[in-house]
Amino acid sequence: MRRAVGSVPLLLMLFFIGHAKETRYSPPGKPKLTSCRSPEKETFTCWWEPGSDGGLPTTYALYYRKENSDAVYECPDYHTAGENSCFFNKNDTSIWVNYNITVVATNALGSNFSDPVDVDVVYIVQPHTPENVTVTVMEDKDGPFLRVSWEPPRKADTRSGWITLIYELRVKLEGEEEWEEHRAGQQKMFNIFSLRSGGMYLVQVRCKPDHGFWSEWSSTTYIKVPDYFPRETSVWILIAVFSAFIFFILTWILNLKSNSVKHCLLPPVPGPKIKGFDKQLLKNGRSEEVFSALVVPGFPPTTSSDCEDLLVEYLEVYTPEEQELILEEGKDLQEGCLKSKGSPSDSDSGRGSCDSHTLLMEKCGEGEGKEEKHQERAQKGKRQQKHQTGWEEGDVSHTREDVLSPDMSEGRVKTWPSVFSPLPQYSSRPLDHQGSLETARQLCLSDSLFPPPSTSSHLSYNAKEGLALGSGQQEFYLGKKQTHPSNPQSQPRWHLQAHSDFNISSMDRKQAASGLQLPGFRSTEYVEVQRVNQEDMVILQPLFSSSCQRDGHLQIGQGEDYSKVKGVDSGNMLLLQREVEVKREEEDGDRYSCDIQDRVTESCYTTSTAASSQVTGKPTSCAGTAMPVQEEMVLAANGYVDQNITSVH
Amino acid sequence: MVWVAVLALVYLDFPIRVGTAAICAHGQECHAPSLADLFDRVIQQSSRVHGISSELHSDYEQYFFPSKNHIGKRKCHTYSILTPADKENAQRLGREELTEVILRLLGAWGDPLSQLHRSMTQDQNQDFNHYSSNKALEMSDMVHELRSGVTKVAEKMKLLGVISNALGYMSSPESLAPSSVSSSYERGDFNSIDHHDLLYCFRRDSNKVKNYLRILKCTTLPELDC
Repeated sequence: MRRAVGSVPLLLMLFFIGHAKETRYSPPGKPKLTSCRSPEKETFTCWWEPGSDGGLPTTYALYYRKENSDAVYECPDYHTAGENSCFFNKNDTSIWVNYNITVVATNALGSNFSDPVDVDVVYIVQPHTPENVTVTVMEDKDGPFLRVSWEPPRKADTRSGWITLIYELRVKLEGEEEWEEHRAGQQKMFNIFSLRSGGMYLVQVRCKPDHGFWSEWSSTTYIKVPDYFPRETSVWILIAVFSAFIFFILTWILNLKSNSVKHCLLPPVPGPKIKGFDKQLLKNGRSEEVFSALVVPGFPPTTSSDCEDLLVEYLEVYTPEEQELILEEGKDLQEGCLKSKGSPSDSDSGRGSCDSHTLLMEKCGEGEGKEEKHQERAQKGKRQQKHQTGWEEGDVSHTREDVLSPDMSEGRVKTWPSVFSPLPQYSSRPLDHQGSLETARQLCLSDSLFPPPSTSSHLSYNAKEGLALGSGQQEFYLGKKQTHPSNPQSQPRWHLQAHSDFNISSMDRKQAASGLQLPGFRSTEYVEVQRVNQEDMVILQPLFSSSCQRDGHLQIGQGEDYSKVKGVDSGNMLLLQREVEVKREEEDGDRYSCDIQDRVTESCYTTSTAASSQVTGKPTSCAGTAMPVQEEMVLAANGYVDQNITSVH
Repeated sequence: MVWVAVLALVYLDFPIRVGTAAICAHGQECHAPSLADLFDRVIQQSSRVHGISSELHSDYEQYFFPSKNHIGKRKCHTYSILTPADKENAQRLGREELTEVILRLLGAWGDPLSQLHRSMTQDQNQDFNHYSSNKALEMSDMVHELRSGVTKVAEKMKLLGVISNALGYMSSPESLAPSSVSSSYERGDFNSIDHHDLLYCFRRDSNKVKNYLRILKCTTLPELDC
């Protein structure tokens, strides 16, 4: 019994607890003010969002406080604006005054305050939509257009200037997705152009105060554009038809004259007419192969037995006319040069003097300088007339500069028939200015010693790197000056090209005396670059015909007719000194040493007057067997020899 | 050389100061701007001033007080100037008084804006201030120009007989000196909260000026754009 009684309260409690769980009452949740808006800046409305009501009937109240006043007021009107709203009429609305608004939710169990919100009416203006939107189709000379007009929303008082509205409208064709929007500013009318004929357009307008929110879009206004024929389209059709017509006619004509047109537009490319020249090889881009293909095995003769013959074959520089002759020859021999260049693929460093290749190289150089040659020729003729002894500094320099300076800018000097310095790895040979092409030839040869690409490239420009005849010796300093200051001998490839005019002129000079002739004639002079000393001086040495042990080593002449470059003086003058007969006596198997020794023994020249150091440098190598004659020719800065001394043979 | 330049400047400047009414190119017929033109200009100017002040205020709000609705117990120093707070009051005020209110407001803000600019430029440790001080300077200058513009409008209206000559404010433009609050401005010790409050107050006042000018224009010249 007791147990039963005791269990009843338990059961009751359980029952109540269970029941209480289903219906739980609580104070209301926190309401939230969602927005406040004023349609015309004279009244405004605030809306809130109720929180949970806690299961009990909840009432909401809105309280506000005005700026700088502690009085709290309640919302005057909860109904006009609908559920959960508060409407402030004109009397309660003050502009430019801060309202601090709070909403309170109250039920039996308690109340809950929302977060306060500060509102200044002037910044919450959102007008109604514009009214009376009318669209009419109007005609213009360019076609029809739409005129849209509207009125401000009724409540907004724009007439007194209390509120200023700006408008915006949008248009689209029926069926399209994208609207085309236009700002209309404060005006109440707008024109829309470029209409599609027969299209149905939709138009909407909205407005906003200058600091406020955009209104809703007005209800759509439909307007149909009548059909019209756009004038511009007809013009385009005409143009299209006309062009098609012309196009067809042109095609027909082209067809008729296809051959001649082809010939005119795409002229046939002339093929190379070099015997032995393989076009295919050239197309493959292997120039070495191309040139090697041109090499005739038996040519040039590698034995030096016929040095003089070779000389005879190639170079004859006697007189102006003859010079030109030779130049022409040189031109013609370009092919030969090419051939020859191909052959010395052997990096025969020793060779450099009196090598048939040199000859060819020289000719190649001449060939290269074709263009300049023409120039030179003419000028030479002039020069010849002007002076007989030597080179007119001014003239020659002028021409030289003409020739050289443009090339210099390219970084290469196209010297004219050139004296190549033999040099690849060895010191350069002194260029003994004998004014002989043979010498040049020798130098030319040295170029040939360069690996084929370099030689071929050499073909293209006469001097890759120049020899500076003294400081600032522009013309001779072909190529990279900057690299020059260092010991030229350190340069792996270095060759000097003296202008062949150089040679020729000297020949001119000698003409009177001896008349330069080809090998076999004493008067023929060859200048060979012996070396370039530290000062970048070209040391020239005459070639001697006495010994032609080396291949194509041109040794010609002895005697006074040689002139060597003594050096370059401060005035950028190349000083030549005439060498008393120099005979080469020794010869080694090694050409190079032969040459060098010869040169050395023959003349201890060099050293420009400008640099005394050269003088010092020279004697070491110089065996001193022969001392150069003191006659000197001063080379003009441009490499032409200006003869100080009257007679030099 | 310097003297020559100075003299040249003076001479060039001189005609500008003398006549400001007419703007005409050489050889053209010279017309003094009409009242409508003057109104348009001052209204445009006031609109621009309000725009800049809104920008500055929102910049401050974003930069310093990201939490919204930070409006404390703020009291603008122009609260003593009685301004119509709704349309009826504004329309009831009449043109002369409305003009006077406008001029008072503009006059009351000349100094505080300069001080604001100065305070902003001095507070160089903040990048924000460096950027905003230019705006503050621009605002300050424009307010001065606006004030002179409105003065001209008033003169023109008086000339046209639109308003009577009983305009007391014109004589003492600088008479406004609300004491307590403006003293802090005069002290010059602003901080960013002061800046923020100042900008809030000025934004509102510039809005007032703009609105009053528009009302003035539309009541004086009702046919245009109203």
